[in-house]
Parts: sequence; C-alpha cells; structure tokens
Amino acid sequence: MSPLPPLPVDASILQRMLDRMLPAAADDGDIYLQRMCSESLALEEGRVKHVAASTHQGLAARVVRGEASGHACTDSLDTAALMDTARAARAIVDDSNHPQIARLHAHKTKATLYPAEHPALDMDFGARRACLAAIDTLARGLDTRVCQVFASLNVSHSEVFIARMDGALLHDVRPLVRLNVSVVVEQDGRRETGSFGGGGRQTLKQLLDTGAAERFTREAVRLALLNLEAREAPAGTMPVVLGPGWPGILLHEAVGHGLEGDFNRKGTSVFARRIGERIAAPGVTVVDDGAIPGRRGSLTIDDEGTPTGRTVLIEDGILIGYLLDRQNARLLGMQPTGNGRRESYAHPVLPRMTNTFMLAGSESPEAIVQSLQRGIYAVNFGGGQVDITSGKFVFTTSEAYYVEQGRIQYPVKGATLIGSGHEVLRKISMIGNDLALDPGVGTCGKAGQSVPVGVGLPTVRVDELIVGGTEVGGA
Amino acid sequence: MHTPKEHAIMAVELAMRLGADAADAVSIDDQETNVTARKGRIEAIEQQRQHGVGLRVFVETRHGPAFATASTSDLSEAGLRTLAEQTLAMARISEPDPDAIPPVGAEHPSADALRAWRARHPLADNPWTMEQAREAALACEAHALAYDSRITNSEGAHAAFGTTRTGYAASDGFAAGDARASVSLSISLVAGSGDAMQRDHAWHQAASQESLRKPEALAEEAAERALKRLGATEMASGRYPVVFEPRVASSLLGHLLGAINGRAVLQQRSFLAESLHRRIFPEMVHIIDDPDHAQGLGNRLFDGEGTRCRRCTLVEHGELRTFLVDRYAAKRLHLPALGHARRGLTGDISVGTSNLICQPGNRTPEAIIGDIERGLLVTELIGFGVNPVTGDYSRGAAGFLIEQGQIRRPVQGITIAGNLATMFAELAELGNDLTWFGTSAVPTIALKHMTVAGQTRSGNDA
Repeated sequence: MSPLPPLPVDASILQRMLDRMLPAAADDGDIYLQRMCSESLALEEGRVKHVAASTHQGLAARVVRGEASGHACTDSLDTAALMDTARAARAIVDDSNHPQIARLHAHKTKATLYPAEHPALDMDFGARRACLAAIDTLARGLDTRVCQVFASLNVSHSEVFIARMDGALLHDVRPLVRLNVSVVVEQDGRRETGSFGGGGRQTLKQLLDTGAAERFTREAVRLALLNLEAREAPAGTMPVVLGPGWPGILLHEAVGHGLEGDFNRKGTSVFARRIGERIAAPGVTVVDDGAIPGRRGSLTIDDEGTPTGRTVLIEDGILIGYLLDRQNARLLGMQPTGNGRRESYAHPVLPRMTNTFMLAGSESPEAIVQSLQRGIYAVNFGGGQVDITSGKFVFTTSEAYYVEQGRIQYPVKGATLIGSGHEVLRKISMIGNDLALDPGVGTCGKAGQSVPVGVGLPTVRVDELIVGGTEVGGA
Repeated sequence: MHTPKEHAIMAVELAMRLGADAADAVSIDDQETNVTARKGRIEAIEQQRQHGVGLRVFVETRHGPAFATASTSDLSEAGLRTLAEQTLAMARISEPDPDAIPPVGAEHPSADALRAWRARHPLADNPWTMEQAREAALACEAHALAYDSRITNSEGAHAAFGTTRTGYAASDGFAAGDARASVSLSISLVAGSGDAMQRDHAWHQAASQESLRKPEALAEEAAERALKRLGATEMASGRYPVVFEPRVASSLLGHLLGAINGRAVLQQRSFLAESLHRRIFPEMVHIIDDPDHAQGLGNRLFDGEGTRCRRCTLVEHGELRTFLVDRYAAKRLHLPALGHARRGLTGDISVGTSNLICQPGNRTPEAIIGDIERGLLVTELIGFGVNPVTGDYSRGAAGFLIEQGQIRRPVQGITIAGNLATMFAELAELGNDLTWFGTSAVPTIALKHMTVAGQTRSGNDA
C-alpha cells in the first residue's frame, strides 16, 4: 500500500467523516477536498491595470442512494465544521445502520496528463507583465487602425483529493493557463473588434514557447480588420461549411449536451432511449476524449476519481454511448466514462463533456468549400447554447464568408446559426481530412457551473442550417 | 466567530500595518440550501457555506498609485496576514496608474444613515426551514405533474433559501455590514414525447416566504408555458414586428447596461460610447435605478467602494442621462459616482445597478399584439450573438407567430437579428405589465421590426 499524499486535513478526520456519513443503504458517497489558487494579469490602455490573485480551499461531502443525493460543503476545515458537513450530506438517507468503511488508502492512478508544478513557476509577475506589454506594442505596430488593445494572462492551479466509499484516496493536481488578446480597430468612424485566445493544462512557459503571444495577437488584429470589411449576413436556410477546430462547438451543442447521462436517465433529452439508432450521416464518428495530454478539457481522473478515456458517442452515424458519471451510470446499468465533473468543491457532480470532436474523413477542405453554390463558410465562432429537450441549438459566427459558385465573395457580420441536434448531423454530406482541436478557449456552462472543455472538427459541409443574418432573400 | 465587517476591518488594518498607503476589503459569508423534488420524491439536498475576504491594496509611487487585489477563504489571523502580505507584494510590482483612485474619501453614508437603513432593513435570517423548502418543492412538482396528461416529465422543482452577509471596510475609517435573505422556487417541465418534446419553466425569487409566489401558481405557469409550445415549427424568413414578453425583454435592458458601462465606454468597446445626452430610445422610454424600492431585491445603501447609492435616472424621455461608473470611471468621464461600483471577492471593480426599472406603458400586451398584422412574440432567447462594440444582434428564438392581431401558433428554430442601436431607437411600445425579476422590473417591449430567419421558402403558414 502506498503512503497517502500530504493532505490539508488529517486523514483520521476524513476516515471519521466517511464512517459517520455512509449508512448501509447508501449506494455511493465521497469526500472531495480542493485547494485552488489563481493569478491573473490584464492589460488595457497600454498598462497592466489589473493584478489579482485568489486562494481558496474547501471540502464537499456526498451521499448517494438511488436517484437521490445529499451534498454539503464548507470552506472551514476545522473538525467541527467538517463533521457538520458530513451530517448534512447524510440527511438524504434515512438509515441508522453503519457498515465498517475500508481504511483510507492511496489509490494509484494512471500517468498524469499534465505537469504538477505551479504553471507560472518559471514566469514571475515581471515576466508576465513584459509579455503583455510586448503584445500591446506588437498589436499597435501591426496596423495604425488598432486603437485599443486588451491582453490577459490567467493561471490556475487546483489540487484535489477524493476519498471514496471503498476507502480509495485519489489525488490530482491540475494546472490551467490561458492567454487572451482582443483589439478594437477604427476606420472612418466604424469600430470593430477581434479576439483570439488559447491555452491548456500546461505551464505558462510551455504555452508561450510555442509563440502563442505573437500568433494570438496577429490573429486578433486580422479578425478585427476583417470585420471592418464585413457585410450583412444573409437570413434563411442554406448550406454551411464549417472550418476545422473550434467550429466543433457544433458537436458540443448539437449532440454533446443531449448525450449527457443525467438528461438521458431522466428521459428529458431528445436522444433518450435512442442507443443503436442512426442519428448522423454515415461516416460521422464523434468521440469525447478526456485523456489527451495538456488539453484544456483533459483530466487524468474526473472529479469522482474515474480515469478519463476515449468514449465513442456516435460511430459511423449510429448513437452508441452516453457521457456518464457514477450515479447516472449505475442507474442506467452502464459503466462510468470518466465524465463526472464539478466546477469546484462547492458544486455537485454532473456528467459533463471533456474534449469532444469528430474524427476526420477523406475530403480535401478546398473541395468542400468549392461545393457551395450559395452559402456560408464559417471559420470561427463565439459561444453557443442548446435546449436539450427540443434539440434546438445555436452557435454564433465570429469569422464567416459568403460563398457563391464555390468562391469566397466577402466576409459577413456575426450571425447566429440555428438547427436541431437530432437532425443536423444527418445533413453532413462531406467530411474533411483536416481534423483540428480548438486552441484551448472553451468554457461550458451547465446548471450554473462552468468547466473548461475542448472541441474539435475537420472541415464539414452541412447541407442545411438556418443562418440568422439580417438580409432576407439572399445577399 | 467574527462578522464579515470585522474580517474586512482586520484585513485592511493588517495591510496598513504592513505598509500599504491605502486599502479596502470586502468580506462575504454565504449560506445556502437547495432542495430538489422530482417525480414525487426528494432527489437532492445541497447545503453550502462559503466565506472569504477580498483585499485591495494601494501603494503610492512617483508615477501615481499602483494597486492589486487578492482573496482568500482562510479567515484565520495567519490566513489574513498572508493575504495582506501577498496583496501588498503584488501592488508593489503593479504598474502605477495616475488615474487610479485609492479608497479614501468616497461619499460614504453617515452613521445616521446607516442606523436608519438598518432600522428599515433589519438583518434577515433564513427565510425558510428545510421542512418548508421540501414541502414547497414537492407541492409544486406534484401540482405540475397532475396539471395535464400531456405533461410527461419533469426536471424537478427546486426550492432554495439562504442568507448572505457582507462587510466592507476602507482605510479612511469607513466600515459597514449588510445581510440579505432570499428564497426561491423554480420548476422545469416537459410536455409531449420523442422529437416533439417541449420544455419550459417558471421561477420566482423573493426576500421572504410571504412574498414568494405560491407553488401551485408557479406549477401552472410552467405547465401552461410548456403545453403552449407543443407543435412548434419554423416560420418564413422576413422582416416582422417583434414583441418581447417581460422575461425576455429584460435581456434587452441587460444589453443596455453593458453598453453604458463606464469602463466599456472608456475602452471604446460600446456602441453607445458617444451617446451621452443623446436620444437613444423614443420619447416614452424612462429607465431608472432605485437602490431603495419596496419590491426590489437589489436594495443597498452603499456600493462596492463604500459610495452611498443614489436613485438615478439612466434614460429620461429616451435620452441617455448617465453612464454607469465606479469612482475611477467617474473621474475620467467627469461624471458623479452614484453608487454603481460592484465588487466580488476576486478581481477588479465592475459596475452594476441596484433595482433597474423600465417604466411601463399604458396598453396591455394583448392590445399591442392586437395591432400587429403579422409578427412574432418572443418568449425564449438562446445564444450569445450580441456584439457590444457594434450593437449587432443575432440570437436564436422561440415564441409565437402573430397574425391579424392574434396568437396563431408556436414557433421555434428561428433567429431574430438587427442592431441594438436601431432596435432601441425604433422601440414601438411598452406594455403596462411591469414584471419584477429579482433586481429588475420590465414590461413587454415591442419593436417595430427585426429580421426573422426561418424557412427560406414561404411555407404553408401564410
């Protein structure tokens, strides 16, 4: 048996909590202990005006029986507060029998997917400030129309300990870094903006050594200048070609949320009870993979201690899997997939996505764009949202072009695209050979909780989507 | 146990003793309980207690003040000392900003004003017991499931209650505390089955149990909303008058607040950056921010910088009267600070309103709809397609097709698009149905027209 990692709370207290909070009738239960620190620097108007840091720790206790769960959390780690927390979580199960809980023991996980050290270890505040200042200088030097530059560097470091009902104690240390650049440009009284960002579970130095600062800055300026040329987008039904990478948000909204275990166990998702049915065109294979090293959506173990892996959701157009946490997996008679996630100790576990993407096809991206007689080629997007019950989902373009006769005509303003999750993947008629994952910008919201996620897509052609521009009757 | 006000004072004193030139701190102690009932049983009980202190430290340099912010959940004396040391060290390496405003000399409320406020707004305790919350959630869900046989499923009823205590202290000697209780009940229901499923919800939040809507009333609202959406299809693309019911109209006010945020104005990130004292709405539009309102849940005496909150008019006769500013933006934009600074534990100061009220019009929503030959009533919006710099607007929508002044049928899977500057300027009418949503009150808002994207071919819905 390997020794326990150093804990912020004495292991004997955790043992006492487990002993007291888990009656015989409980199906599952755990303690989640978390220590997080984050630091951010933000530049605006040529100066680093915001320097902020936070250090928070807390503990959550959970008791599960059938469909019911009791959850309590505290950020006071004194023994009295911890025992109160165990008692509060226990209140969901009415049973006074307490079995013997196994002794807490360290549970070895697979090799970690990211470095354990503090992500800003090699870059003190001075170095980070210099990086932001260089971005400001570069952006303003790229074009005289650049009138505002915003840049921010965020690093966070979260250490979690999970003590399970079977006595297993799991440990994970999660870094997360993010660089964002945004500019405002002005020409003849018209103002536009462009943004670019990225990062992942890596050190700041690893991110910046890839040349991210310069690349993101050039992209932000290019997008802002492009927007100065953008014309009104068309309104109505038309074919849409999605570029590789972040446009994978289509999958996240159209099918990802609808395949989360809780909605399917409750029967409120449009995909409930459809395992084995065709929900996408042949050739469409969609996976969720939390085990890619260093990605923003990756986790060595999920927030219940389950190792992450590659879960195939749709194989060659057929629905074959859901995203499952332990409770929903048990209720559905399936295995957990390593998708039990929580924003922090103060939030309950929910089945969530990690990195969700479509596998590559064989078409060349050029041929796919050239196939458009009249439609939209959307290269980049802002956010999206879905109603998992009706299946209606939206996502909004941030770089898109009007295409006629297979040729790009002009950039169009940001427009929301809307479709039905259970129909859109059937309308995919071409899949590119250029699968790419996004640069590391995604944050997914569900039930008031935000978690970092990734998406990916090869270039694809969707034969029909509604484009929410302002120009009725064609461009 | 110390109060949040005492924690804030301790953090400020530690920072000053360590060598800060000025400092202020906020402290929060939040207790919340959530109970979920689903399919007739209690499915989840969540109890959380969270606390923390956020500290802002200023040091004077030859080039002006430099500052940093930091927060911690460790409220022990050692924890607060570490926080003070860390924040001070960060402030010393921050870049000075000649316009930065140390937390000294804000227009604080007087001791008399604080006492009078406390007398009228006594420190509230938990407005519900666990038992009451369980009963309310169970009653709400049971009533909804029994309401109509076409209600096929439930995502559950949620009853929540809690108390948030806050404290603020500044190095100029001002310190004060506040506490507010809140109770809420919500339910989300599914009507129909398979591809035809529709979901809708109802939600209400109040400061006390007495003013909370009854579980049965909420259940009926959610059920009616879900049932009315059954059979929704698209509609033909075109330019139509668009009516926003209050619960979605409030999002238009949200976009206004984003655009008149003083920081966004300074950064040229707002389509209203040059619109101060200009007419941005038609004459009949009046929008006020009232920090002391009997129905509002956003009442406050002072803001995140200790500045006394004042009732203020944001839009009068359609004209933009002020931007929302903290003391920093106030100084740079030459506007008075009226108490709009907002502050969380972490990060910098932002701005916000207390109780935002868009004054209602004279006619009922039915009368407004009655004048529309062909248009759209919007009851739900999804997505984030709003560009704050240009005002360009494109969002997913669901609602009802209006024909010959009547609600004809439910629609979904469409988008509405336009530009906020034009949408505001061409606002057609406000309803008389002022509706409160916690900290804002909004009536039905009718716009002259927006572009609706749906079917390209004109379908059979003519």
